[in-house]
Amino acid sequence: MNVLKIVQEDLEMDMTPMIDCVFLLMIFFVLVIDLSQKNLEDLILPRAVFQEPDDSPPENRPIINVLQNGTVVYGGAVFFDPSVDGKDYKKIKQLLLDIRVKGVAEKTLKLVQKDVGGAFVEVIDDPILIRADKWTEWHFVGEIMKQCSQPDIAFWKVQLALSDVDKETGEKNEALK
Amino acid sequence: MTALEDAQEEAKMDMTPMIDVVFLMIIFFICIEFKVLESKLDAFLPTDKGSQNTVVEPEEQLSIKIRVETKGTPDYSKYGGKGINDNTGRPNRFVLKGHKVRWEVGPKPLGSIEAVKAELDRIANDPNSLIPDKKTGGKKLMSCVIEAYPGTFYEDVAKTNDAANAAGFKEVNFGGGLGPGK
Repeated sequence: MNVLKIVQEDLEMDMTPMIDCVFLLMIFFVLVIDLSQKNLEDLILPRAVFQEPDDSPPENRPIINVLQNGTVVYGGAVFFDPSVDGKDYKKIKQLLLDIRVKGVAEKTLKLVQKDVGGAFVEVIDDPILIRADKWTEWHFVGEIMKQCSQPDIAFWKVQLALSDVDKETGEKNEALK
Repeated sequence: MTALEDAQEEAKMDMTPMIDVVFLMIIFFICIEFKVLESKLDAFLPTDKGSQNTVVEPEEQLSIKIRVETKGTPDYSKYGGKGINDNTGRPNRFVLKGHKVRWEVGPKPLGSIEAVKAELDRIANDPNSLIPDKKTGGKKLMSCVIEAYPGTFYEDVAKTNDAANAAGFKEVNFGGGLGPGK
């Protein structure tokens, strides 16, 4: 082996580590971006056996997060804080109204005419998801559901988020064991 | 270089790609834990009730009341103590210790979710629980309404709803507006 051949051999770059790093970064960003787009707060959802998997949720579905202390978070921003607002739920109503107006204007939410109590009301025909922690007092969830049922908001396809696993206790549904 | 040396060199396995792949898999499965395992419960609000001009007889439904016996004490020790999480800006989580509720399925008071399941099973299998189905003209199992009293948590409602679904109740309604706990 002469000197020239040795130099040529040294110049051959091993691409494997670089490709590995690129894959690692790709997986990391795909998962992280996906999480941020879903606007999911870090909550522990209650475990339930009888529910529907949420495998392919609609992209336009609004997600309302309710923290343990009743704080309502939408899109990463706090809209209602019971320690500040007390029992004044106007901000929750305003949030839902804003979601409706924006969604209808941007055509991400579909309006349909429905006969509600003898009168025709324009209701949102797309679902809205309420994600609450297992240790969130129910009346906060009930209040959001009540506001959703108001004729000027009219989100009637309310969904409640559940989980197959209780991350607090580690209990899993039989199907996952 | 002898033939023996050649053979020894070939036998050396390069572990780098295997370790890389293992790391990839570890990261993938760690991340996937945060991402999936969520599901949903459709709690659609009624849109067609009371729309008839004629007088409609109210449908019989089973009432499941959840009342608080002991609200419980928040324990922050598992999640870094009471306060605001510097990374998320949200209050630290707590685990509720000593929370206890009791149920009333119809008029019957019950003290555990297992007893609620058994009672709901019994009711669902009782022919007297069948009511006329106006849509099909046949019979259907009556609906039930979960009424969560002040101080109950989402966990209590989710467990009760799960028990109702397990018993075969197709229509589960949620009573709301019972106000906050003390």
